Amino acid sequence: MDSETERLVKDFTGVLEELTFNSKPIITTLTKLAEENISCAQYFVDALEARINKCVPMQKLYAFYALDSICKNAGSPYTIYFSRNLFALYKKTYLLVDNTTRSKLISLFKTWMTPSEATGSPLFETSSLGKIEKFLIKASALHQKNYQSMLPTPTVPLLLADIDKLTILTKQRLVKAPTDQKLNIKLQVLGQLKQELQKGKLSQAALKQVQLQLKEVFSQDQQLIQQQYEYEQKNQQRQQFQQQQQQQQQQPNKFVGSDVPGTIDSQKSSSSTPIPLFDNMTSLSSNVSSLFGNTGGVLSTQKLDLLEKTNKDSKVQNLYHSLDNLGLLYKPQNESIVTIYNKIKPKDLDASAKDSEIQLPQIDMLQNILLDCKAYFANINVNISNMQSLSFSQENLTNPNSIVQNNLIHLLYRAKSNKCNTCGKRFGNSNDEKRLLSEHLDWHFRINKRIKGSSQVITNSNNPGTTAMQKNIQSRNWYLQDSQWINFNDDDITSTKNIINDNVGRNRNRRDNKWKNGGDTSTKYNNNLSSSGGNGTLDDGTLDEEMLRMAKVPVPETNVDMTFTCPICKDTINAVYDEDSGEWVWKNAVDISGKYFHAICYYDSIKNNTGDDHSSALRNLRKLIK
Amino acid sequence: MSFLPGLTEAAQVPDIYIDVNEAHTQVLPIGTLWKIRVPSEAKMSIKVLTGIAEIFGTELANNIEYNFQNWNFTVHAVEEVCLEWKGTDSHPAIEGEDLIPNESAQNIYNLHFSLEKMRNSTFDGPKVMIIGNKRVGKTALCRTLCSYTIKFKSYQPMFINLNPQESIFSPPGCLSATPISDILDVQLPIWGESMTSGATSLHSKQPLLKLFGLEIIAENRDLYMSTVEALSEDVSERLHKDALIQRSGCIINTPPLSQLDDDLKDLVNIIEKFKVNLIIMVGDENNDEDMAQFEKVSQTIKPFVGDFLLRLPRLTGVIESDDTYERSLQRNAIREYFYGNQNTALSPFSVSIDYEDLIIWEPINLLDPSSAGADNNSIDKLELKQVTITPSSIQHALICLTYSDKHAKPNDVRRSSILGFALVTEVNEKRKKVRILIPVPGNFPNCSTLLTSYRYLE
Repeated sequence: MDSETERLVKDFTGVLEELTFNSKPIITTLTKLAEENISCAQYFVDALEARINKCVPMQKLYAFYALDSICKNAGSPYTIYFSRNLFALYKKTYLLVDNTTRSKLISLFKTWMTPSEATGSPLFETSSLGKIEKFLIKASALHQKNYQSMLPTPTVPLLLADIDKLTILTKQRLVKAPTDQKLNIKLQVLGQLKQELQKGKLSQAALKQVQLQLKEVFSQDQQLIQQQYEYEQKNQQRQQFQQQQQQQQQQPNKFVGSDVPGTIDSQKSSSSTPIPLFDNMTSLSSNVSSLFGNTGGVLSTQKLDLLEKTNKDSKVQNLYHSLDNLGLLYKPQNESIVTIYNKIKPKDLDASAKDSEIQLPQIDMLQNILLDCKAYFANINVNISNMQSLSFSQENLTNPNSIVQNNLIHLLYRAKSNKCNTCGKRFGNSNDEKRLLSEHLDWHFRINKRIKGSSQVITNSNNPGTTAMQKNIQSRNWYLQDSQWINFNDDDITSTKNIINDNVGRNRNRRDNKWKNGGDTSTKYNNNLSSSGGNGTLDDGTLDEEMLRMAKVPVPETNVDMTFTCPICKDTINAVYDEDSGEWVWKNAVDISGKYFHAICYYDSIKNNTGDDHSSALRNLRKLIK
Repeated sequence: MSFLPGLTEAAQVPDIYIDVNEAHTQVLPIGTLWKIRVPSEAKMSIKVLTGIAEIFGTELANNIEYNFQNWNFTVHAVEEVCLEWKGTDSHPAIEGEDLIPNESAQNIYNLHFSLEKMRNSTFDGPKVMIIGNKRVGKTALCRTLCSYTIKFKSYQPMFINLNPQESIFSPPGCLSATPISDILDVQLPIWGESMTSGATSLHSKQPLLKLFGLEIIAENRDLYMSTVEALSEDVSERLHKDALIQRSGCIINTPPLSQLDDDLKDLVNIIEKFKVNLIIMVGDENNDEDMAQFEKVSQTIKPFVGDFLLRLPRLTGVIESDDTYERSLQRNAIREYFYGNQNTALSPFSVSIDYEDLIIWEPINLLDPSSAGADNNSIDKLELKQVTITPSSIQHALICLTYSDKHAKPNDVRRSSILGFALVTEVNEKRKKVRILIPVPGNFPNCSTLLTSYRYLE
């Protein structure tokens, strides 16, 4: 080693000696020295390894940072040199340092495992890195074991105390969620366990088992409580977040592992403060979870927040009380926002409160249901026929009648609870009434469709000449003759069904034949037929074809598009306006039991039949076309 | 600058301008009446949002817009009603009494359920006749009773109108009988449509008409009574054949008592003809004149109906109106007969015929000094005279077509059934032609016609 090298190594060691804290400039200096003097690499590596071995555990991490920096920046040959002793060095350091440093070492190790962009391989030799990895896995497993052995020797009073703490915790949770079955069961189990312990017949091994189980239960509980707690504190945390962070950085170890459950418990006993069962719990849990990802310290942050908050709260409280004592406070009474809030605030925020928030239907809908029910019950056991107060007398007519006012009146309205949306007509709830309602609604639908369609011109491809006449125009009907009216049945009008004899009532509407003589030839023809008593029938029992052509059927009200298709010839027939009857009709058509045919087609088809069928059908047809 | 049109008028615009589409809301507390007057030039629409509202006993569908024109009517709130209305008139409700408790409702309900009880116990339903003076609410009472009757059970009461000045299901000048087989149209002062050739949004009614033709009963009392008799004969035959109507009974509206003869012979005659078994006299209890009249009526008709003459206070909902309003209703009824209404447009047909093809008869008008035989008591007052066609005699006249032949004898024409009505729109003296509007497209029917006293200028 020449003097020059000796000087450099001395410099390097000197700087290294100064690395007693995590200092970026020092590490940078060391890295530069190493980079610029590759020739001294061997010496530098030796010096750094010596440093890591010798220095106090707290500072070993910083030396590792320097090692890391040199290897990452200068690369080979440092990486090769360091690889030789890396495992031993790492292992030794890991076992000596505290948990926080360990997690930092692990993070460091993780960066080494990441392949570098330049070479595509990890920073150090894979073999040594593999050894470290194996070691770390073993170490964490061992850690668990150590943790168990570190527990105090279980004794009955100790366990009993633990159980009591756990019971209190569970009870607190139960207050918040009274419906939780699991919590109830848990309480029962804890009670039983306590009884068993008090009998005092358990072996040491069994006690140990109980202790471990209790701890597991507890850590679960604590997680749950912490989640709740986090949720509740979220808003306050958001405000104080930055401040908290800074404080935590400045005093990283102040609260770690040294919780103050007693204080918190007494100050905020009703809140869901996490109460650690064991003092070392926090650090333990942070260690376990910090193996591959640093989540440690969360709990301690919580504690810090809480402390801060309770301190602030109590300060405000004190200020308020002192001001109040001095009479400097104005307290609004009824108009106070607090009073109002207390009045309207939900009684409790639990699941039961959520149930009552279920959206109810519109108020008028509920009212309708209520009134319908009322109307229904008002008329049970009411019989009009037996009512004395309804007999015809001056008194009954002009005096108030409570039965009419309270009961009978509903018969006109809600006793029939289904009101038609179109015309307001009411229908009841029996099956018959429901059928009537659906027929009634169908009728509205058909009629409305027809009314809408009445302004449309129906084009007729088969018979273009009649297109202009297809427009559905309606006009007032002639009145019935007195004799027709006497025999008329209004059911023909009000029927909502497609009745077969739809046209019967309407046909009565036609003018009397008596003065039809002045009309066109077709009416004359019809007139002749009727006056001569069906002489349109030819001698051989057949029907005159011309007569068949004249046969017409008024378009039933139920028909929407004014056409029908003859089932025999499949031809579509359009309606034309018949001036004699003042109606829209299908010409050359017959209505056979509600089905429409071309009169000629139908005649042809029955003509070919033989026997009774033939003659009765013919008779029928003859009747129809008159 | 005031000579410039527009500058001075600008300030008045907000008063003149009424937003027809502006929706107003109105709450009618339970049991109140909302009195509405829609003049002939105005329009109004009502939409019930919540609650049960009815117009003369016919319930309104909720959330359906009903349109009203030239009509005075009342909306009765069966339950608290919240409705929305639009209109050309910013205050359609009658001032001072737009929202009043409906004191008549209780009486009408009592009456209705009494009638219902009778229908329940017999196959021969009640034949109730409503009598009273002008503007006491006779027609409104009849309409409400008819509507209630069809509401709970499927009854078909027969409504009989004996007041020729009322036009219900018909143009004016007629007496009519109409089975009420389905709900009435709340929008129509004429209660509903008579039959048309096409689809109507509600079921039409099939009335039987008998023409009186004159305006005032006193113009020919004999003719009036003969018309009543003719109607009663057909009605009793119909009742005989139609068990449902018979069980449902008849509701008979009458002309104002003042128009009947002083010794009430006509009234007794009507009671006998229609076999009336219940009479409701509507009148003001606090009015001595009305009470005296009631006593008089009571004594005269007691032998015929016994104790079944009852008194009902004047209806709360009566809206004061004058003859102009009545005439506008008659004009509307004529227009509707030919042209339909806003929901059902009808297409009448205009035909031109020669003088000699038009045979018109007219009844004797005893109050008209120019009418032949007016001063001669010995002649048959039912006799018809043929009208000489001149523009002055038939221009714009409503004429009634009959089922009798053009060459039928006057007595046959008088007894003949009514085919329909026609309107003389133009009389051309030069060409001896008459242009006539008929409701049904086609040739002018080959029939005799009767002249009515009603004129309608399109």
